[in-house]
Amino acid sequence: MLPKFSRLLAVTAMSLMLPSAYAELTINHALGTTTLPEPAVRIVTLYQGATDAAIALGIEPVGAVESWVEKPIYQYLRGELDYTTLVGLETQPNLEAIAALQPDVIIASEVRHAKVYDQLSQIAPTVAHETVFMFDETLELVAEVTGKADAADAWLAQWQADADAFQADIAEQLQDDWPQQVTMLNFRADHARIYFQGFSGQVLADLGFERPADHLKDTWGMKLTSKESIPSMNADVAFVFMEDDDAVQQTYQQWTAHPLWQTLDAVQNDAVYRVDQVAWNMAGGPLAARQMLQDIRSHYGLD
Amino acid sequence: MTQASTNAPMPSTKWPSHLRLALLMIISLAILVMSVAIGHSRLPLDRVIPAMLGLNEDFIVQTLRLPRSLLACSVGALLGLSGFLLQRLLRNPLASPDIVGITSGASVGAVLFIVVAAGAAPFWQPIWAFIGALTAAAALLGLTWKQRLSVTRVVLVGICLNSGFAAITTLLLVMSESTTSAMAYTWLTGTLYGANSAVNHWLIPATVVALLGCLLLKRELAVLALSDEQQVGLGLSTLPIRLLILCLSAAMAALAVSFAGAIGFVGLLAPHLTRQLLPKHLPGQLIGCALIGANLLLLADLAGRTLFLPRDLPAGIFVSAIGGPFFIFLLARQRR
Repeated sequence: MLPKFSRLLAVTAMSLMLPSAYAELTINHALGTTTLPEPAVRIVTLYQGATDAAIALGIEPVGAVESWVEKPIYQYLRGELDYTTLVGLETQPNLEAIAALQPDVIIASEVRHAKVYDQLSQIAPTVAHETVFMFDETLELVAEVTGKADAADAWLAQWQADADAFQADIAEQLQDDWPQQVTMLNFRADHARIYFQGFSGQVLADLGFERPADHLKDTWGMKLTSKESIPSMNADVAFVFMEDDDAVQQTYQQWTAHPLWQTLDAVQNDAVYRVDQVAWNMAGGPLAARQMLQDIRSHYGLD
Repeated sequence: MTQASTNAPMPSTKWPSHLRLALLMIISLAILVMSVAIGHSRLPLDRVIPAMLGLNEDFIVQTLRLPRSLLACSVGALLGLSGFLLQRLLRNPLASPDIVGITSGASVGAVLFIVVAAGAAPFWQPIWAFIGALTAAAALLGLTWKQRLSVTRVVLVGICLNSGFAAITTLLLVMSESTTSAMAYTWLTGTLYGANSAVNHWLIPATVVALLGCLLLKRELAVLALSDEQQVGLGLSTLPIRLLILCLSAAMAALAVSFAGAIGFVGLLAPHLTRQLLPKHLPGQLIGCALIGANLLLLADLAGRTLFLPRDLPAGIFVSAIGGPFFIFLLARQRR
């Protein structure tokens, strides 16, 4: 506790001497209002999207939670987190491990960490996003606490420009067939899912894709347990992600061998694409969103 | 129904009963101190003990570890006692709150909260779970009342309720997205993560009151050991006693799982370990069962937060891993 206290003293002393150089930061977020004495340097990220956002801003977190698959760190982030200490699971981050890192700020998610928010706040000022997948707002939140709002604005402006460029390119290629209706499919060991919203849903919407009328619901998506429901997957294009697991592959083989599968527009258009489950579903950050855009451009032969 | 629970062999009388109990208390205290001293980092006892007694300010001990260990003690003791009462009441050594549907009733409440009320303050989750558990207990009473809470009937209806509630939980999970189901699975495993002292301030007194309540009922509990025929033969009306014991057992289990999630096995194992380790003296068995339940959960949580560092895993995973082998060891020793 003593070093932290003395650091606080030092900061207070400095802010007394240089009132303009160290302005306090006040952040309104999902779980309250948090004040930081100065932009944070040592940050701990407690959900995948926040870790991704920190790297996108050029900040290596001192602590981060382990990944869902490709444990303990997603392949695409390896090499970026050399000095990052892992602090356990996203659902139950190790509070003692976080405290030992003496962070300046902790970036959490309301859906995961509301229960431990008070304890986290006693370790370090803690900010939280409502979700774990809204990559643009996560980026803004991480940027706000680290004093990198300009970098986040620049990133988002570039994202908007690239999304606009994609829409112009694809409209030229597909002519009247654009905009297309899209569906995100996921196969599990014992069922299949259609994702409506969430991370990939937001990216696809940013890129100008539309959804079948049945998919315009205000929920995450739906689970399909019977192959008779295959027609509800119908769309112009389908992106499919799944785990590299034998049982999952078997489900995929069975569902795609079903006669109803052949009736889907995407199958008849030869527009069913396998995509990476990490970038498309599990990472949930700005770098993953860029990876999705890259994947989509190459599937449409735009590069 | 078998009579095994009441026919458990007497532990050897090498150690008199009060000495065994005193030894168990000392061991429990040592395990409590150890659970606070060990964690992500190991703390020296001269730092841990004064902080536990409130003589020093210590963030790790007082905010992160002690509330969690104390919650483990309360929850473990409540589950152990709840199982003890149920096994007595039903004269069945396989009875426990997670088998007659009380825990799975709580699970429906908690998972419903996670799925439906996402975004509500986490304060409400234990309340939803508690209502779920009470609903299950009320259903169990309602469906067996006409049969005068007959032992066989309570067990069978309980098992049916259990699978019914489990089906509802599965349905809720099937319809929810992966973000919420990850949180629901943690709850269903049972965890002491994020324990805070505000809860302990009233849960610990409530546990002590529950234990005292059980001790006051020792005569009634003794009557329950008799068979139905013997009870009738003696002219005893046991219906009010059964009702009281069932309600008390359900309330204790409901309270425990509301705060720690669907922790299984403690309610089954603690009474058995108690019968193996302590003489048949009823007050001693009750106190011992509370202590053994508390120790089981303390050790399970200690394993969860230290064996796979930096991961902090739900205690529910380790309860059976800790208690099972020990129980089998005791059984094997008995046979010899």
